[in-house]
Amino acid sequence: MTAIRTDGLTKRFGDLTAVSGLDLEIEEGEVFGFLGPNGAGKSTTINMLLDFTRPTAGSATVLGYDAQTGSDEISQRVGILPEGFSVYDRLTGRKHIEFAIQTKGADQSPDDLLARVGLSPEDGDRAAGGYSKGMRQRLATGMALAGDPDLLIMDEPSTGLDPTGINEMQDLVRAEAERGTTVFFSSHILEHVESVCDRVGILRAGELIALDTIDGLRESVGGGATMTITAASALDGVVDAVAAIDGVSNVTATGHRLEAFVERPAAKPLVVTTVADAGVELTDLRIEETSLESMFTTLIEGDEAAATTLAGDVESAPDRRVANAGGDE
Amino acid sequence: MTGHTLTVAKKDFADAGRSKLLWSIIGLLVGLSALGYIIVWATGEDIAAGEMLGFLAIPLGVLVPIAALIGGYMAIVGERRSGSLKLLLGLPPNRADVVFGKLLGRAAVIGLAVVLSFVVALVLSIVLFGGAPIVDLASLGALSVLYGVAFVGLAVGVSAGVASRGRAMALTVGTFMIFFAFWELLTAGVYYFAHDGFPTEYPATWYLFAQQLNPLQSFAYAASTLVEGQVFPVMFRFNLDPTFAAPADRVAGDTPFFLQEWFGALLLLVWVVVPVAIGYYRFEKADL
Repeated sequence: MTAIRTDGLTKRFGDLTAVSGLDLEIEEGEVFGFLGPNGAGKSTTINMLLDFTRPTAGSATVLGYDAQTGSDEISQRVGILPEGFSVYDRLTGRKHIEFAIQTKGADQSPDDLLARVGLSPEDGDRAAGGYSKGMRQRLATGMALAGDPDLLIMDEPSTGLDPTGINEMQDLVRAEAERGTTVFFSSHILEHVESVCDRVGILRAGELIALDTIDGLRESVGGGATMTITAASALDGVVDAVAAIDGVSNVTATGHRLEAFVERPAAKPLVVTTVADAGVELTDLRIEETSLESMFTTLIEGDEAAATTLAGDVESAPDRRVANAGGDE
Repeated sequence: MTGHTLTVAKKDFADAGRSKLLWSIIGLLVGLSALGYIIVWATGEDIAAGEMLGFLAIPLGVLVPIAALIGGYMAIVGERRSGSLKLLLGLPPNRADVVFGKLLGRAAVIGLAVVLSFVVALVLSIVLFGGAPIVDLASLGALSVLYGVAFVGLAVGVSAGVASRGRAMALTVGTFMIFFAFWELLTAGVYYFAHDGFPTEYPATWYLFAQQLNPLQSFAYAASTLVEGQVFPVMFRFNLDPTFAAPADRVAGDTPFFLQEWFGALLLLVWVVVPVAIGYYRFEKADL
């Protein structure tokens, strides 16, 4: 069964298109990472799934219910960790958890839920207004787990957590996935999702530019590298020779510097020997590997080329994408 | 509305019940009621316990609305701004549960405050004046609770219908100021243009009905029927209207039902129903 499905989901705020024609399908039991820079439209998408915000066009279903007309059924079965939430300062942590359990009609021990998110019974006795950012995040996660939801939607769950907290959050996601819970969570940090996600979608400026497994994405980015050669004399003369090497592209020379993109590792020494054979004296050589991580980082920083590389995956390899999606089930 | 309305109301009552601001207002309400009794007793004037109720109704006429508005105007918009609303709506309660649960929760807080004031008044009445007009006290208490709920309704309705704290404050303060400071100017002003002159002692019926619609006035007039002596509404006077008398006393012949004091008390509910309906409608449509 499909846990989340969006069809042409679109949200415009005045002139700004926050989410544009989003088509997404997440299977039950899947752990899905929703990646993208801040402001890419991740929270707006999640807010539409939860009926906090109404779409301008398109539709969404959650656990088979329409996100708008079925929001009562949805909130009964879904655990939600919203983005930019705040706690009730005057109520204790335990009161928060008790309220969540009560509204879900569940029969759970508040202390068990507190323990699952790493809060002690003593923490539970304190007013949540005195909690640190990380503790508030844990508390809200505990509330989301009330009533054993079929689907967990977490918007930037690692916000405010220290590295230990992030590890615990990842363990929690794994544990929930093992219980059969579908997990949909967003992040702007790749490493927070890559170890736990079956599949990721990358959103940029409201559009889905990649949808694949982490391995699939890594493969599509490839093991390429950028080589930068500095020499004692001008390098303009060797550009054509370097560009002729198999697996080398985008060769540019500016004065004593030459840059080339190398897709095939074996081409790297060939670049060096070609330049040396032309009688140019090399003074420096730098190689920057292109990894999914670096590609994602440059994407987050707003780099068009990275977006195109990652996006290329969606357009150029539809067959593999389908195969990967199939393998997740 | 689902079964979660009451759960939200209870949680809201628990949360608001821990608010120091709200307790300060409740303290002020209870304290001033007590002070009124003590001052009158200390002056040694020969006043019966029954007449004291008139003294109680006047400060309540101003303090109850202020307490209710302060206690209610942030109820929903406050959570919307801070983000705790997302935590709440992420759970099974829906938007209707939030609006009506908040209304119930805050009404309970104000109701409790008013009841506490009357319990203190009851005790002081017995201790200082040697008796208590239980029935009058209880009916004035019930009217005051209704009066408080009317302003809670106004405040919660506004709180549901706007997206910022500033707007909520402007609308609640503005509405209160219209009731408190400008009602006479507005109604008598319209009267002047409609009838070529300011209201007389026996003015047109619509003008009298307009007085019934101001909760400050309808509370005072209804209170007057419950206690000994006349309770005047605490309002700015422009003396455009020659009298303070209740609408029911300003008609020649039989008083129509809608100008009678009990109907004025019933009209207090307009201030629950209309603002909450508008606020709920806007809240239901809003992008949060």
